[in-house]
Amino acid sequence: MQAAVGTAHVTHGHIHPPPDTFIKKYIFSQDHKVIAVQYFITSGLFFVLAGLLAEMMRAQLASANNTLLSPTTYNEAYSVHGSAMVWLVIIPILTGAFGNLIMPLQIGARDVAFPWLNMFSFWLFPPAGILLFGSFIWGAPEAGWTEYPPISLEQSFGTSMWCMAIFLIGVSSTITGLNFLVTIIKMRAPGMTWTRMPLFVWATAVTAFLSFIATANLSAALLGLLIERTFGVPFYDPAKGGSPVLWQHIFWFYSHPAVYIMILPAFGIVSEILPTFCRRPIFGYKAIAYSSVAIGLLSFAVWAHHMFTSGLAPWVQLPFMILTMIVGIPTGVKIFSWVATLWGGNIRLTTPMYFVLGFLSTFTFGGITGIMLASVPADVHEHATYFVVAHLHYVLFGGSVFGIFAGLYYWWPKMTGRMLDETLGKIHFWLMFVSFNATFLPMHWIGLEGMPRRVSTYDPQYQDTNLFISISAFVLGASMLVFAYNAIKSTISGREAGQNPWGARTLEWMIPSPPPYYNFDDIPVVLSGPYDYGKPLPYREIKADLSYKPIV
Amino acid sequence: MNTGHEEHKLDAGFWRATIVMGVISALGMWGVVVFPIERYVPEAAGIAVKIDWLFKFMAFFSVPILVYVNGYMLYFTVRYRNRKGQPKDQPGSSIHDHKTLEFWWTAIPSVLMLVLGVLSYILIPQYYTARAATADSVTIEAIGHQFSWEFRYPGLRDPVPDELHLPVDVAVTIDVTSTDVIHSFWVPAFRMKQDMIPGMVVPMTLTPTKVGKYEIICTEFCGVGHSGMRDRYVYVQSQSDFDAWYAAQKTKQAHAPTEVTAAVLASGDAAAGQQLFNSRCTTCHNAAPFDKRKVGPGLANLFHDPAHPKLLSGKAPNSADVADILEHGLSGPMGQMPNAQLNGLSPKDIADLVAYLKTLK
Repeated sequence: MQAAVGTAHVTHGHIHPPPDTFIKKYIFSQDHKVIAVQYFITSGLFFVLAGLLAEMMRAQLASANNTLLSPTTYNEAYSVHGSAMVWLVIIPILTGAFGNLIMPLQIGARDVAFPWLNMFSFWLFPPAGILLFGSFIWGAPEAGWTEYPPISLEQSFGTSMWCMAIFLIGVSSTITGLNFLVTIIKMRAPGMTWTRMPLFVWATAVTAFLSFIATANLSAALLGLLIERTFGVPFYDPAKGGSPVLWQHIFWFYSHPAVYIMILPAFGIVSEILPTFCRRPIFGYKAIAYSSVAIGLLSFAVWAHHMFTSGLAPWVQLPFMILTMIVGIPTGVKIFSWVATLWGGNIRLTTPMYFVLGFLSTFTFGGITGIMLASVPADVHEHATYFVVAHLHYVLFGGSVFGIFAGLYYWWPKMTGRMLDETLGKIHFWLMFVSFNATFLPMHWIGLEGMPRRVSTYDPQYQDTNLFISISAFVLGASMLVFAYNAIKSTISGREAGQNPWGARTLEWMIPSPPPYYNFDDIPVVLSGPYDYGKPLPYREIKADLSYKPIV
Repeated sequence: MNTGHEEHKLDAGFWRATIVMGVISALGMWGVVVFPIERYVPEAAGIAVKIDWLFKFMAFFSVPILVYVNGYMLYFTVRYRNRKGQPKDQPGSSIHDHKTLEFWWTAIPSVLMLVLGVLSYILIPQYYTARAATADSVTIEAIGHQFSWEFRYPGLRDPVPDELHLPVDVAVTIDVTSTDVIHSFWVPAFRMKQDMIPGMVVPMTLTPTKVGKYEIICTEFCGVGHSGMRDRYVYVQSQSDFDAWYAAQKTKQAHAPTEVTAAVLASGDAAAGQQLFNSRCTTCHNAAPFDKRKVGPGLANLFHDPAHPKLLSGKAPNSADVADILEHGLSGPMGQMPNAQLNGLSPKDIADLVAYLKTLK
């Protein structure tokens, strides 16, 4: 298919010289690839801290009336664990890190549209993390990552720090959303029409739209909470005429789209990895691309499904229930298309592929329990129990985190120029996959039986199951050490990756690893879609070697 | 589209795998249908049985989806894996899409969602926010506190703390609310849950169908004692048992003192006080020396602690002043202690607690 080559896109006609000082190069860098690495390192650090909080919680829950942690410490641990995992780990890694690293390369751009804003956006992030974890000094927030008033109005100063931390992250997220949207709309290489974009770019575009539109609502809600806590202006306190349900509406109007901010990029990563290792076009390119858009739009109309026990009238619950169920349809279309991509492939079972298959299995399970939670009568029993804890971890760990690791193993060679060790990668996968399921699968059942979430002690009848879960959770934590060892080892002595070790076809693999400053000597010209294995590569103006024999 | 090449045909192995998965699905679906949920979580309300069937309906159709997604994923991965000697970059099938297949895998889930939506909506008005209208129905108020429940019955002067008594087979409307923060009132055996939101009164209507004792659990984080808001029960009783309980309550309340007088304090029962202490006070206090504090101080030496000759209220430790703290609460350097109304303590309870605290050394 030979299409007309567009010339309307304005691209950089010249290449600026690379920065010459250490600070400009590595600290206040405006290079999207360096910023991506900064995001990876910062989020990785927060991942370790938030993960340790989870292990503390599991240590406390190992026995029914344990006194290892005081109730207050336990409450602080799960609140900061949830907040950090959502806002300091998953969202920054998927948008700030992967979005920055891959999206500009895949659209054939030399950087994002606003490099200075990109740098600014990153530098809002470490202070937010310091505020959140620093809140332990004054007494961290205790009411979970949702911080429902009025109880969040009564807590110590740490909750105000939580407000400020999440506010900063929100501003950072909004700016990045705007930046990525403009980049994708205006800076695609000539010839890269919307339906020639790699699917990770589609996912990033929808994610950026959600970040840009939805996050401002969170900022407003947080500002309200902070003002009420500090100056007593009653937005949420019913005793003074405020409404606690108002907070829930605004919070979930952001936080439900945020769930898709946390999963759509992982969908994008899966959609990149599958064609590469099946060596065939992704099945249903348009269905996958458009279903991301459908999910993104629907995400603004389902927020109240988190509030079915908050006293909404049935006629309000009905549309939210139906729309939530409808989200299952585009999601199902994606899953079926990914499975169909495996059919008739020439499948290489590399580590990224293991994580993609693990993702498919666990995310499908999380999707199905999501439908079970959408049905109001069923939700009324399941809401706020361990069933919900299990569901959200199947989506955010089984989905997002498995997707993140798939992407890390896949693009690590592009980012660092060296391969991660495949054997260690597979050990990591099996440890993580088995212990993940052992940790979170039993939670569904004890939740349905009657164990509520956010408790530090529980009925002794759940003792044995909880002990099993805690042991599994420690193994899950230990599996991360395998990855850490692999990452350090490969940085020192990993195999040289070369330009295109997997033999993929998207643009980031058409340039050296790691990519040079300004990415492309000449802006490539795109002639057709990215996944037509067996056909000649659809690019012109690429100077590097285009004969791509996969080495793994 | 299918281009008709040899490689694009579905082979015998595919159909064999499909049939195997069909058998596994059928077994799983049969397992869902016969699974005795009742054995693990009692179905003690009319709506519970229906909600369990709705859950089974969802689980029933989830089984084939899970089996086929995982099954095809594994089968294709093994069947189409890169084999020894096969070039790594040999392209696979070039099929981009298949309109018929995509139509069906969009249409079938859509129909399932539609049916599920209709079934769910039919169940909602049967228990939720609709008020029981029959002549013999009962209306009860349930109020959440940090960290106890309070139930108000028509005709009873005082609320009943932490025990909900309901007559079997009578429709009851429970108006739930809270006086401090958000709690959530959950009775797993009823499959019902309603947040108790300060400033809002939300009715929930149900008909208990099985006599028995079922746990009430708080499922919305409500503070440091949230984990302890369990081990409280709803008692579903036969009409005659319920009437007897109601009459006993009425008599007891009629004779119960309405104020904490010196005479009431003198009649405190230390054994009853110990029970109360263990259920109401241990969230924040230990029966241990002052420094063994949880939230507030340890209370073992309350009446004779040479290191702390005065109460936190600044008064000398005697019965009347301790009772005063129990009755009115205390806001001090260690935080806030709720008053007797919030703690659900009657004057008799206060007297019992003081009697118990005096026995501690």
